[in-house]
Amino acid sequence: MRERLEELLNEARAEIEKSGVKGSLLTVKSKYLGRKGVLQGLFKDIGALAVDERKRAGEFINTVKTSLESEIETRLASIHAAEQAERLKTERLDVTLPGRARSLGSIHPVTRVLYEVEDIFASLGFGIAEGPEVEVDYYNFEALNIPRDHPARDMQDTFYINEEVLLRTHTSPVQIRVMEEHPPPLRIIAPGTVYRRDSDVTHTPMFHQVEGFMVDTNVTFSNLKGVLTHFLHSFFGENIEVRFRPSFFPFTEPSAEVDIRCVICKGKSAVCRVCKGSGWLEVLGSGMIHPEVFKSVKYDPEKVSGFAFGLGIERMAMLKYGIDDIRLFFDNDLRFLSQY
Amino acid sequence: MLFSYNWLSEFVDGLEPVQTLADRLTITGTEIETVTDLSGGITGVVTAEVVTVEPHPNADKLSLCDVKTAEGELKIVCGAKNMAPGDKVVLAVHGARLPGDFKIKRSKIRGVESNGMMCSEVELGIAKESDGIMILPPDTPVGLDALDVLGIQDFILDAGITPNRPDLLSMRGLAREVAAVTDATFTCKSITVEERGGSVESLVNVRIEDGAPCARYSARVIEGVKISPTPDYIVKRLEVNGLRSVNNVVDITNYALLELGQPLHAFDLDKIEGSKIIVRPAKSGETIETIDNTVRNLTEGMCVIADESRPVAVAGVMGGKSSEVDETTTRVLIESAYFEPTSVRRTSKALGLSSDSSYRFERGVDIDAVTEALDHATALILKIAGGMVATGRVDLYPAKYEAKPLVFRVKRAEQLLGIPVDSKEVAEVFTRLGMSVVSGKDNGASVLEVTPPAYRRDIIIEEDLLEEAARLFGYDNIPTTLPVAGLMPGGATSMLGIKRRITELLSSAGLAEALNYSFVSREEFEVTGPVGALPLEVMNPLSVDQSIMRRSLMPSLMECLKRNLQVKNDDVALFEVAPVFALNAVEEDSSEMLPDQSWKVAGVLYGSRWGISWNSPKEWVDFYDIKGIVERVLDGVGVRIPMRFKSVGEDDARLFHPGKSALIKLGSASAGLFGEVHPDIQSRYGLLKPAYLFELDIEILSAVASSKKKYRPLARYPGSVRDVAFIVDSTVAYSKILSSIEKIDTKLIEKVDLFDVYCGNEIPEGSRSIALRITYRSLAGTLKQAEVDSVHSKVQSDLTSRFGAEIRGQ
Repeated sequence: MRERLEELLNEARAEIEKSGVKGSLLTVKSKYLGRKGVLQGLFKDIGALAVDERKRAGEFINTVKTSLESEIETRLASIHAAEQAERLKTERLDVTLPGRARSLGSIHPVTRVLYEVEDIFASLGFGIAEGPEVEVDYYNFEALNIPRDHPARDMQDTFYINEEVLLRTHTSPVQIRVMEEHPPPLRIIAPGTVYRRDSDVTHTPMFHQVEGFMVDTNVTFSNLKGVLTHFLHSFFGENIEVRFRPSFFPFTEPSAEVDIRCVICKGKSAVCRVCKGSGWLEVLGSGMIHPEVFKSVKYDPEKVSGFAFGLGIERMAMLKYGIDDIRLFFDNDLRFLSQY
Repeated sequence: MLFSYNWLSEFVDGLEPVQTLADRLTITGTEIETVTDLSGGITGVVTAEVVTVEPHPNADKLSLCDVKTAEGELKIVCGAKNMAPGDKVVLAVHGARLPGDFKIKRSKIRGVESNGMMCSEVELGIAKESDGIMILPPDTPVGLDALDVLGIQDFILDAGITPNRPDLLSMRGLAREVAAVTDATFTCKSITVEERGGSVESLVNVRIEDGAPCARYSARVIEGVKISPTPDYIVKRLEVNGLRSVNNVVDITNYALLELGQPLHAFDLDKIEGSKIIVRPAKSGETIETIDNTVRNLTEGMCVIADESRPVAVAGVMGGKSSEVDETTTRVLIESAYFEPTSVRRTSKALGLSSDSSYRFERGVDIDAVTEALDHATALILKIAGGMVATGRVDLYPAKYEAKPLVFRVKRAEQLLGIPVDSKEVAEVFTRLGMSVVSGKDNGASVLEVTPPAYRRDIIIEEDLLEEAARLFGYDNIPTTLPVAGLMPGGATSMLGIKRRITELLSSAGLAEALNYSFVSREEFEVTGPVGALPLEVMNPLSVDQSIMRRSLMPSLMECLKRNLQVKNDDVALFEVAPVFALNAVEEDSSEMLPDQSWKVAGVLYGSRWGISWNSPKEWVDFYDIKGIVERVLDGVGVRIPMRFKSVGEDDARLFHPGKSALIKLGSASAGLFGEVHPDIQSRYGLLKPAYLFELDIEILSAVASSKKKYRPLARYPGSVRDVAFIVDSTVAYSKILSSIEKIDTKLIEKVDLFDVYCGNEIPEGSRSIALRITYRSLAGTLKQAEVDSVHSKVQSDLTSRFGAEIRGQ
C-alpha cells in the first residue's frame, strides 16, 4: 500500500506540475482530492486491511492528502501570480492625456492684492473698515482740510452727483467717519473703490485704494516710516529699497511720498519705461495727520498724534505682476483674468 | 513747470551738476520728474565760415567747400545748395556726434576727402524740417561751440510743484529753494528804473473799489514804446513753457512771470477810456471779450479791471481784447497786483478759463514782490522796446501784509518726529529758508519764534515748520521704528468676511472674477430694476455711456460676455462682487443725502459646460448650472433657512425668460434671482445660445447666514433603501412633492434623493416621470421590514392621493 501511495503521490505531483492554467489544476485537484477522488477511494480500501495496519495506513493517506492540498494551493498561487503579471504587462493608459476637470476659476488680481494688503495690516492689529462710495463733499474734502476753492482740489478731478454729493476720490473719508464714531487709540485701514475724472493710457476713471491710519498718544513720524517700511518689505520682499521724500497733502503735515527701487530696472537703466529712468517708483502717499483733521473729529491735536497713508491697488498689482496697461484690469478678458 | 538749468544758474552761484541738483531737489520735496538734455547728446559742433563754394569734381549734385574754423580751413563736401562764401554755418568736425548717436568721421566722398559736415536744423534736432544747411546770423563769431550759440547747451528740469508751494513757480523762486537745500548761494539782481516822463498820476488814475478782492495794485506807464518782434533768447525761453510769442511788450510781461512768478498785464493806455483804472467787482450782465477772442459773461462774484465805461480785464485771469497791446500801441500801462486767491479761483472756474496768471494768483503770489516785478519788467521793456518811463509808480497797498510769527516748540518736534532735535540746528534751517527766528524759553523749554517770509504763506501752523525742519534735515535721517501700542481687536468686519467667502466659493466653482465700472449707459440701467425708477446720475460723466450709477451688476456682466465672445473666448463664466446704487426714497430728508448703496454678487454663464474635452460630453450650460451655483453660494456662506422661489415680476421681466427664471425668497426677504436671459436680450447681444445670470443681495445673505455648526449624531443602525417611480402632471412643482414626502414621517425618512426626471416616450403629454430613492432609518434601532413597508406605502398613497400620481411598476 505504501508503495502504491508513493507512486500515486509522484503521479499527482507530475500532473500538478503539468497544469499550466487554473482549470486543469482544479481537474487534478478533484481527481485526487475530490469526494469521488483517488484518495477517498483508498480510505475505503482501509477496511480490508488488518486492524493493526489500518491506523498507520490512515495516517499515511492523510499525510499524502495534506501534502497534495498544499502543493495544489502553492501551484494555484503561482498560476495566479503569472496570470496577473501577464495582465499588468498589457494593461496600459496614456497618462499624458489631460485629467477630467472643470476650469479653475480665478480671483481678480486687484482683489488678490487687496487681500494681501489687508492681511499684512491685519497682522499688525489694524482693523478693516469700509465706507460709502457715493460720499458727501464734507467727508471727502472739507473734513480732510480741503476747503472749497482750494487748489488742492485740482489734484483730484471729481465726479459729482450734485453740489454736495460726489463719487469719493479716495478712501480717506472712511478715516473721518471712523474717528467720528470712535475715540482714540485707533489702527484702521480702509480698502475700497475710488473715482477720478480721468481716462487715458495710465488712468482709469475708477480704481482701488487702501487708506490707513493710526492714532494714539505717542505716534511719531519715525513710526510712520517703520510701519510703511514693514508693509513694503512684506509685500515686495525684504530686499526692496524704500525711500521717503517730502510732499504735500492737505490732510497731513509733515507729508511724505514713499518710493521703492524700480522693480523692473533696479535703478540701473536711464531709459527704463517703468520708472522713466529715475530708478524709483512712487507707491504710497503718507504723513502725520494734520491738526485740522483732528479738530474736525473733535480730537485734541495736543493730546494725540497719528499718521495716515494711502496706496493705489492697481499700481501695486502692476508692479507685483508686471502688468503694463492699467486698462487690462477693467477689460475683463478671460485670457487675462484666468492668469490669476 | 519746466525749468531751464541755464536760466536757473543766473540766480545761483555754485549750482550743482544737473543730476545731483535734480536728486537733491526731489529728496527735499520738489520732485524733478525728468531731466531733458536739450542738446540731444550733440558734441563737436562749432561755428564756422564758408570761404569758397566749388562744384565737386566727380558729382553734379555735390559741392566742395573751404570752411574756416578756429583751427584753420577744412575741405568739406556738401549736398546742400543754399550756402555762399561768407555765410556762418554749424560745422560738425571729425569725431563729432549728432542726435541719434550719429558719428561724424573724415571720409572720402566720390574720391574727395571731406573733413566734417555742415549741419541743417533737422540734423541738429532743433527743427522738424529744414531747407538746406543752417545759416547763422552774419555777426556770429567763428570757432564757438555751436550749442551755446544755438541755446541748446541746456537741461530742462520738469518739476512737479505741489499746490502749497506757489513760490516755486518761477526761476527765482526755485533758485531760492536751491540755495536753501544745497550749498549754492542765491544771487538777486537789483534793478533801477530810469524815470524820465511826466508823473504817473498825471497819466492815469487808479483806484480799488471797496470790496474788490485786491490787496495790492501797482502800475507803471511807459510812453513811446516800439512794438516789434521779440529777441530770440526771450522767445526760446517762453516756448520751453509753452508760451507763444505775441510781441515784445507782451512777451516781456510773460518773461517776468516765468522769471519772478509775478503775473503782469500790459494795457494799451490809449484804449483805456478816461485814463481810469478801477479795480471793482463785476456787475451782473456785464460782458468782456478776452484776448482769446471769446466773449465772457461776468457775474457779481467776479473781479474786473475797468476803465471809465467797461471792464478791460478779468482780474488775475485774462486781459480784454479792447485794451490789448498791438502793433499800433505806443503808450502802455503795466499792471502788477495781488488778487485774492479764492476770488481768482472762483472766477477762473466759473468762466472755465485758466491761464498762467490765474494758476499763480489762485495759489498766492508774493505780495512783497509786486513792485519789484513791475520794475524788472519796466526796465526790460525800456531796454528792448524803448520809450520813456513816467515818473513814479502807482502802488495801492492799503493794508500791508504782516506775516504772523509762529511758535516752534522743540520738545513737541521731538515728540512728533521721534528723534532728538537740536534747537540751534533747526533755527539755522529756518534762517536758510528766509525766515526770521528768535530763540527763547517757555517754562524752561526751548521754543523758537519764527516768522516766515511773505512768499511762504503756506506756513501757518507749527506742523508746517516741522515739515520744513524735517525735509531739510532729511527724511532719510529719521530712523525707522515700529510703534509700541496696546493690543486691540483688528481684522475684517463680517461684511468683508462674507464677500471674501463668496469670492472664494465662486472662483473655486470655475468662475473668473470681473471688475466693471460702477457707471453704465441708460440702456443698461433700464434693462433691470423697478420700472420707471429714476436713475442716480453723474453730473459730469466722461461719456453718456458712463453717466448712470448702476443698480444691478448683471448688465455689466452681459457686456463682459459680449466682449469675451468678440475675442473668441467661447465659454464664459464670470462673476463680480460690487456695490449697487439707487436714489434714496426719502430724498427730501436732508439728513440722508446719500443714495442707497448695497453690496451684490452676480454671475454669468455661457457656452459649453466642460469646455473642449476628450473625455467629457459636449454639453451646454443650462438653467440648473446657474441654480447649482446659487445653491453653492447660499450653502457655502451658511444660509440654513430654506429657499423658496417665486416667478420674477414685472421689474425683471425685461432681462429674464419668464418661465425659466426665479426670485429667491429667504423668509420674507428677496435674496436675489437667477435664470435664463430673455430671448430679446439674447438676440440684442447676438448670442447663439442662451446666457444664464444670477444676482444675490449680500446684505441679506449676511443677515441670515450663520457660521454656527451643530453636531448631529451618526446613525448606528442600518437603513433601508426603497425606490419609487411615478408619473405626475408636469405642473406639480418638485419642491411640493418633496416637502410632502418629508412630512409623512420626519423620524424614519432620513433622506430623499431624486435620481430621474423623464418625459417623452411612454409618458403621457403634459406629465413626467419622477424617480426617487428614499432612505429609511431609525436612530433607535434596526427597522423591521414591516415598518419600512408601512411608511413606504404611505409615501406611495400620499403621492397618489395628493398629486394624482400614478405609481410605476405596480
